[in-house]
Amino acid sequence: MTALTTPHTLVIENLHAEVAGKEILRGVTLTLHSGELTALMGPNGSGKSTLAYALMGHPKYKVTQGRALLDGQDLFKLSVDQRSKAGLFLGFQYPQEVSGLSLSKFLWTAYMQRHTAQTADTAEFDRELQAHLGYLEMDGSLLKRSLNEGFSGGEKKRVEVLQMATLHPLFSILDEPDSGLDIDAVRAVGETVAKLHRPDAGILVITHYQRILKYLKPDRVHVMVDGIIQLSGGRELAEELEAKGYDFVRPVVPQATN
Amino acid sequence: MELVEVTMAQANEITPLDYTRYDFKNPETYRLRIPKGLSRSVVEQISKFKDEPSWMLEYRLRAYDHFVERPMPDWGPSLAEIDFDSYTYYANPMLEGETKRKWEDLPADIKNTFEKLGIPKAEREYFGGVGAQYDSGTVYHKIREDLSAKGVLFCDTDTAVKEHPEIVRKYFGRIVPYNDNKFSALNSAVWSGGSFVYIPPGVDAGIPLQAYFRINAKNVGQFERTLIIADKGAKVHYIEGCLPLGEEVLVGDQLTPIEAIETGQPVLNSDGLETTVEKTMVRPFDGELVHITPVSVGNAFELTPEHPVYCIPRRKVVAGHRTHRQWSDVDPEKLLKASPEFIPAGDLEPGDFVHYPINRTERDEPGFGTAALTLLGYYLSEGCVQKINGCEAVTFTFHIEETRFVAELSAAIQELTGKTPWAAQQPEKHAVSVGVYSKELYGFCLQHAGKLAGQKQLSKVVMELPPEKQRILLATYYNGDGNFYDRNGGTVHRVMTVSRQLAFQVQELQARQGVFATINVREPFDETMPDGRTISHRRMYTVYHQVGKHAEAVRRAGDAFLVPIRQISRSPYHGNVYNFHVAGDNNTYLVKGFSVHNCTAPIYSTDSLHAAVVEVVGEPFSKVRYTTVQNWSKNVYNLVTKRAVAYEGALVEWVDGNMGSKITMKYPSVYLKGRGARADILSVAFASQGQIIDSGAKAVHSAPDTSSKIVAKSIAIRGGQTSYRGLLHVAPGATGVKAAVRCDALLPDESGRSDTYPYNEIHEEDATITHEAVVGKIGEEQIFYLMSRGLTESDAIHLILMGFLAEFAKELPVDYALELNRLIQLEMAGAVG
Repeated sequence: MTALTTPHTLVIENLHAEVAGKEILRGVTLTLHSGELTALMGPNGSGKSTLAYALMGHPKYKVTQGRALLDGQDLFKLSVDQRSKAGLFLGFQYPQEVSGLSLSKFLWTAYMQRHTAQTADTAEFDRELQAHLGYLEMDGSLLKRSLNEGFSGGEKKRVEVLQMATLHPLFSILDEPDSGLDIDAVRAVGETVAKLHRPDAGILVITHYQRILKYLKPDRVHVMVDGIIQLSGGRELAEELEAKGYDFVRPVVPQATN
Repeated sequence: MELVEVTMAQANEITPLDYTRYDFKNPETYRLRIPKGLSRSVVEQISKFKDEPSWMLEYRLRAYDHFVERPMPDWGPSLAEIDFDSYTYYANPMLEGETKRKWEDLPADIKNTFEKLGIPKAEREYFGGVGAQYDSGTVYHKIREDLSAKGVLFCDTDTAVKEHPEIVRKYFGRIVPYNDNKFSALNSAVWSGGSFVYIPPGVDAGIPLQAYFRINAKNVGQFERTLIIADKGAKVHYIEGCLPLGEEVLVGDQLTPIEAIETGQPVLNSDGLETTVEKTMVRPFDGELVHITPVSVGNAFELTPEHPVYCIPRRKVVAGHRTHRQWSDVDPEKLLKASPEFIPAGDLEPGDFVHYPINRTERDEPGFGTAALTLLGYYLSEGCVQKINGCEAVTFTFHIEETRFVAELSAAIQELTGKTPWAAQQPEKHAVSVGVYSKELYGFCLQHAGKLAGQKQLSKVVMELPPEKQRILLATYYNGDGNFYDRNGGTVHRVMTVSRQLAFQVQELQARQGVFATINVREPFDETMPDGRTISHRRMYTVYHQVGKHAEAVRRAGDAFLVPIRQISRSPYHGNVYNFHVAGDNNTYLVKGFSVHNCTAPIYSTDSLHAAVVEVVGEPFSKVRYTTVQNWSKNVYNLVTKRAVAYEGALVEWVDGNMGSKITMKYPSVYLKGRGARADILSVAFASQGQIIDSGAKAVHSAPDTSSKIVAKSIAIRGGQTSYRGLLHVAPGATGVKAAVRCDALLPDESGRSDTYPYNEIHEEDATITHEAVVGKIGEEQIFYLMSRGLTESDAIHLILMGFLAEFAKELPVDYALELNRLIQLEMAGAVG
C-alpha cells in the first residue's frame, strides 16, 4: 500500500452462515486490506465458497451471526446490487448463461450502474476493454455472443476476470478462477489478476491449488477447514500445503476452533 | 462506439417511462358512421359509402351470409363474450375517397393523434411510404416519389378497388377465401381500409413501407384488408403497427364507462341528486390502489390512496363501552348525529362507514301502469324475447306449480296487448311456458329490460319511476327469481342474477324502498360431473336483505345508508386513472353507489374487435417480409387471418409480435407452392394479466424442395396465457422438404401459463423435420448473477426477458425495438418488488 492511496478495509467478524438449515461457516474472522492479495485455501466442503456467496448475499445463504464491514458499512444491510455498487465483486466458479444478452451489452449495463450519462466515458471504457481482452488473450468476437452461452470453461473464467476489470471494485473475491483450466489459461488468468491488482483495491482468491498463486504472489494465505480459518501465514504456507496436503492442517491445530 | 449496441445505448437515454403517450383518446367525431350492430343492410351501406363496383358488393354479401351461418370456432380461447351486435362496424372520421396525401391537410385531432405516435417522424427517417388508418377510415397515405416512379403501388385497399381493379380482382380473396373461418367471413363482409401494395417485376422497394392502425372509439371494430403482391423477383418489406385505445372507467350508480361520460352529462352526487359533468380528466398513475370492500362485497371499489371518500370514521361514533360482537360497538345516536367527512381512501380503516346515498330522482311516466311493471318484473326473472318462425314473441317459463304467477302474468299480457297468451304445459320438465306473439311487447321488453340473462338491465325510465311503482316490479321479479328463508328471527329476501348491471339496479331500487340490500359475488367456476362432463357456472350476483329484524351492520341516515367497510387491501397499479368535475357545490359523485369526492377512479373497459385479413402473394423469386408489432389496448379482441403464397424460389417472412389485446388468435401461414420456395416465420407473444395470446404459424409444403423455419417465443407473466398452435403439412409429391420448428416459452413468475399444440401432417418420407419446445423459468441463480454486477432485481429480469426476445427485437426498426424495451420494462415494474 502506498501513502498516496486511500486505504480500504473489508472486515469480517465472527461470521456464521447456514445453507438449508445446516451451519457451514462457524465463526470466520478475516480482514482484507486494499493493496493486498489474499489467498483462501482449504479442502472441498470447508466453506470457502459459502463465505463468498454469503458476503455477496445469495438468497440461499443465511447469515446467522457476525458482521462484514466494507469501510465501516455493514454489507448485510444491503441488497445484492447495493453490495456490488458499494465495491464488492464476486467472480463465480460457475457463471450463469443469459441467452440473447450479449457480453458487450452486459458489460456496458453493469458499468452504467456505477455511472451517469455525465460520468460515463465510452472512449475510456472501450480502451480499457480492448486492453483487458489483450491481457486475457481473448478473442473480441466473444463480446457479441450471448453471455457465457456456449463458452468454454476457460472463456467463462476469463469473462469473470474481464468483468472485475471493467467494474473497478474495491474488493474482489474470485471463487476458484483456476478450476478446470489448462496450464496456459491458468497463467493468463493469474497474470491478468496480478496486473489488475491496484494499490487501492483488495483481492481474495479462493483456490485449492498453489499453481495459480505462482502468478498471483499472495501477500497472505489463509486456510479454512470446517467453516473456520484454521491457519494463516505468508506465501510460503501455500507451498507447504502443496507439499504436505491439507491433512497436515488438522493434526497441527486440531482444537483451534476456540 | 462500436462495441456497444445502439439499442442499449439509446435505451439508457430514455427518460422516465411515459405510458401516457399511447393511452389517450380523442373525442369521437365522425363524418360517416353507421349505428352499431351488424346486418345485411349495414354491409350494403358500407359498400354504398364506398361507391363500390357490384362485384365487391356481391362478394361482401356472400361473405355476410357465410358469417351468419358459420359457428364460432370450437377450439382455442373462449370468444363467448363477443356480442357482434355491440360493435360499430363503420366509423370514418373523413369521407370516403378523402384520404390525404399531405400531412398538413389532416384534421387537427387526427394529426395530433398520429403525431403523438411519431408517424411523420417515422416517414421522414425510415420509410418509403406510410399509411394511417383511424377506425374505419384510411386518413393518410403517401409513397415516396422515387418508388412510385418505379411502378410501385401503395395505397389504401378501397382506392385500389377503384384504380387497380385488374390486379385486385386477380388476387382479392384468393389467398384467404371468405369462407376460411368466421372472422375472415366477417372481414370480407365489412372490410374497410387496409393497405394495397404492388411491386412490379424485378423492383426492390428497398426501405420498408409502413402502416399504422388505431382504434379510437369505444366498441368500434376495425376490419382492414391488406393485399400485398410482389411480382417476379421483386422485394418488399411491409410493417404494420397496431396501437392502443384509451381505456375506460365505470363510475356512478349507472355503472357507465367514464369515456361515455361527457361534459354536460348528468351523474348522481352524494345527495342522490343529479348534477352535471363539467370537465373530464385523465392522468397516469403509478402506485398503489386502495380496494375498499364494504359489508356488501359486491360493492367493492378501488381508488387512488389520496382520493377523498365521503364517510364517517368508526372511532368517532363508538359507544363508551366495548363489546365483542362485530359491528355492535357503535353508539346509534352518535352515528345518526355524525356528519360525514372526506377522508383520503388511504387513511380509511375497516369498520368506517361509507356513504351510500339513495337516488332521489323521480320522473313519473303515466304509460307505466301496474300491468307493465308486473310484466317487466316477470320478464326480468323468467322471460325472454325471441323470434318464432320469424315472428317476434315474448315467452316466459314457470314451474308447473306457480299457477298464481301464470295467472297474474297472463292478465297483464292481456291488458297490455289485447291478446290472449298461450300457456303450454311441459310436464316432463315440470314447467309451464307462457308466451305471446307481439311486436310491440317484444320491443318494449327489449328496450326496458334487455335481452339475454347476462345482459338484463332496466332502462333509465324505469329506474326513475316513483318508488311505489317500482315496488310492483320488484315484487314480481322476486316472485320469479327470488327465494325467502328465515334467519335469526327475520326473513331473508334474496335474488340471484348473472347480470351485474341488474344486481346493482335492484340494490338501488331496494334503497328507494328504504332497504339496504347487500350484493355478494360468486366467482365463475367449472364443475366436473360424475360422468365426466364439465359444467361452467357463470359469475353470479346475489342481492339480499333481511326483513323483520333490523340488520345491525348498515344504518340509515336520512337519505343515505351508512355501510361499514369490511376489508381494505392494496395492490400496485400502473396506468391511467380518470376523474371528472361535477357542477354545483356538492363536488361528489358515486363509485359503485358510494360517494367520493371529484377525483380519480380506476379503469374498467368495454371491448373492441379487430378482425383483419392479410393476403400476401410472392410470385417466383420474390422476397416479401411482413412485420407486425401489435400493442392493442387490453380490451381488444384481435382475430386476424394472415396468409401468404410463395411460388418458385420465393421467400416469405412473417415477423409477428403480439404484446397487446385481450385475446389474440393469429396464425400467420405460408403456402409453399413452387419448387424451392421458403418460409420464415418468427412469432412472439407477451401476455400479462388478463391476456390470452393464442398464436402460432402454419407452413404448408405442396411443392418439392421447399423449406420452412418457424420460431415461436412467448412470455406469460402475471397470470397471462400464451399458446403456440402450429401446423406443418407436407403434401404428397412434395419431396425434399426441410422444416424446423422451435417453440420457446418463458414463465418468469410462474403465474403465467403456456401451452403448445403442434400438428404435423407429413406425407413424404424424405422430409427433414425438427421440432424443439422448451419452457423456461428465470432462475434465482441467474438473477443473483446479474444483481451481483449492480443491477436491481427488476433490471436483471428485464435484461433476461429482452435477451429472450433479442432474436425478434433485432428484426425490428429501432423505434419499435425501443418501444418493446419500454413495454417490458413497464410490465416488469408491476411484477417485481
